[in-house]
Amino acid sequence: MKLHLQFGHGMMEHSRSLIDEWGGGTVILSPRDLNDDQLKRQAKAVNKLPNGFVMIDPQFYLPHADHERLVSHAFWPKSYSTGSFFGGPELAKLMSDLKLLNDQLDTSETILPGLLAVEINDDWLATQDAVLEEALATTFGRPLVQTIAVSADACRVESQVARLLEHAEKFKVDGYYLVCEHPKGSYLVEDAAWLANVVDLVAGLKLNGGRVTIGYSHHQMLIASIAKADAIASGTWMNVRSFPPEKFQQASQEEIRTRALWYYCPQALSEYKLPFLDIAKRIGVLNVLAPRVMDPQVAHLFGGGQPSTLGLSEGAAFRYYLSSLKRQVDESVRDSFDDTVTTHEDLLTQAESILGTLRSHGISGQMRDFSDIVAVNRAVIAATLATRGAILRRRWSTL
Amino acid sequence: MQNQNTLSWINSSFPGLNNINPLAQGGQKLVFSAEHPTEGAVVLKIIHPFQAAEVVRREILAVQTVAAARVPKILDIGQVDTPMGRCVWIREQRIIGMTLRERLQSGPLSTYELFKFGTQTLESLADAERAHIVHRDVKPENIMVDQNGDYWLLDFGISRHLSMSPLTPLTQAFGKFTLGYAPPEQLRNIQIEIDARADLFAFGVTFYECATNKQPFRDGAVNEIEILRRVENDSFPALLLPCKESTSLADLVNAMTQKRRDHRPTSVSEVLIWFQDIAKLNARS
Repeated sequence: MKLHLQFGHGMMEHSRSLIDEWGGGTVILSPRDLNDDQLKRQAKAVNKLPNGFVMIDPQFYLPHADHERLVSHAFWPKSYSTGSFFGGPELAKLMSDLKLLNDQLDTSETILPGLLAVEINDDWLATQDAVLEEALATTFGRPLVQTIAVSADACRVESQVARLLEHAEKFKVDGYYLVCEHPKGSYLVEDAAWLANVVDLVAGLKLNGGRVTIGYSHHQMLIASIAKADAIASGTWMNVRSFPPEKFQQASQEEIRTRALWYYCPQALSEYKLPFLDIAKRIGVLNVLAPRVMDPQVAHLFGGGQPSTLGLSEGAAFRYYLSSLKRQVDESVRDSFDDTVTTHEDLLTQAESILGTLRSHGISGQMRDFSDIVAVNRAVIAATLATRGAILRRRWSTL
Repeated sequence: MQNQNTLSWINSSFPGLNNINPLAQGGQKLVFSAEHPTEGAVVLKIIHPFQAAEVVRREILAVQTVAAARVPKILDIGQVDTPMGRCVWIREQRIIGMTLRERLQSGPLSTYELFKFGTQTLESLADAERAHIVHRDVKPENIMVDQNGDYWLLDFGISRHLSMSPLTPLTQAFGKFTLGYAPPEQLRNIQIEIDARADLFAFGVTFYECATNKQPFRDGAVNEIEILRRVENDSFPALLLPCKESTSLADLVNAMTQKRRDHRPTSVSEVLIWFQDIAKLNARS
């Protein structure tokens, strides 16, 4: 499994430096966050790095969106009516405009536009079919990746996921870009049914023969390794580590709000505000929070001073989070299904132990604490073993 | 059981057959064993006149299309006037042996028998799959064990031709099935979801029954509603066998008996290869 960088606010320099530092990688560009000129400059900068690749997410989830920057792009339709769009020339124009944009950005793969499915029904499936049919007629000249964007409500209903997978057997694409809205807008997901369905979707799509990238993810999605996902995409702020559809609807004020900084403890799968690191230091358990592979972005926090006074810049926190997550992603998929499951179970067991120690000393990640999430991921492993385990075990090396 | 009158008109209508004896009587047909001067042991089926002609035509077509070594061949077809009216008759190759149901009365299959049963039945189902035919009624009653210990797949009476429009009305809440063997999508007559994976489900249940002599959906059920509920809701028990590849076989049965079609292997041919791989590994032990 790979970590792709999900472009969001403040990501321009981070993505270039991280891809450079990592010796390669893929950036998924965001037309919501970049104007046309910025898209081209960013793509050029990444593409010239060794093993640097870009893709562009058309973010056509909500075509009625009025997000100023998003709708300013040349490919965005000037008018949209669901009834006529997918059966008329507008779809062909969208495709030819996206082909031009993908050519200009020299993308490695083309992410096709896809509506957000509030419900998996005939109408939505018909739009998916129409996009795919038009895409195949457009001759993009690069691998086609189908967007599958699913609302939280649809994603937590097993029959909805089953219906999607039944229909997906007809899709003939090279890959899928899976975007699932988190239930109740949460960051860490407590709804095991939702997460089990996401992993089931990944497994079903993989077994169907396509590569799967899960967009807008964070470390909880390391569990997608057990379905042999090809990549997860993550970024800086919460709104690119989960998928809030409303952010594509209209300009949000998020960019100008003051936001808290979080330190990620990979072995605890949790994030902490700096004052909790202060408490950890005072109690004598700061070493428990220190990364096992020391990262220069955060090394000073563990050098003897009071962490919050030493500070952690926004950029350092993001780069450290993404580099730590990349290390975890790189190690998540093993040669066999069972080894991969064991690897994730070990990760959860280790996190549970560390979290127990930290919580016994009053150290909490608050809304980003994984303590209650360990059981969720374990339940998802159990569900996947029961329903997909045999086939994943059998076909692992071919996925 | 047919009465003497029936045997009398059967004997007079089929003078070329000897030793005609009743085998079974179902709602849709009378079945007799007989001897043919050149073809040897045969089965004679007399289809009730109320049976729709298209249903009969499709059953015949299914058997003729499936080029399987161990599916009894149709030798001749015709029509005959009977006291019931004008009936279609079918003369088929007769397998000398017993049904798998009869065999199971003396206990579960041995490991050797299980691997032979699995391989041969999957081969027949894979042949059906290649012909775009779903048997839809795999169960111990529809499998014969001959005198050589070979397993034959019988009765394509409710088989489905995937390239033809279905005969069961879409509005019908339930499809045609044998309760306890048919998968949820067949029970609920979701015709768009009927494909070879329905046969994999029934084969998985049958395989488990052959290995354990237990039918997880039917045993101890108080009525058919409970069987239906079990098929749709209960998890299928793990198979535990005293052989080296027990875990692998358990995995395969688990995969085949998944309630959701998309959780099962995609084809019989895939399962056949999977099963053969397990058989090879087991033989090395």
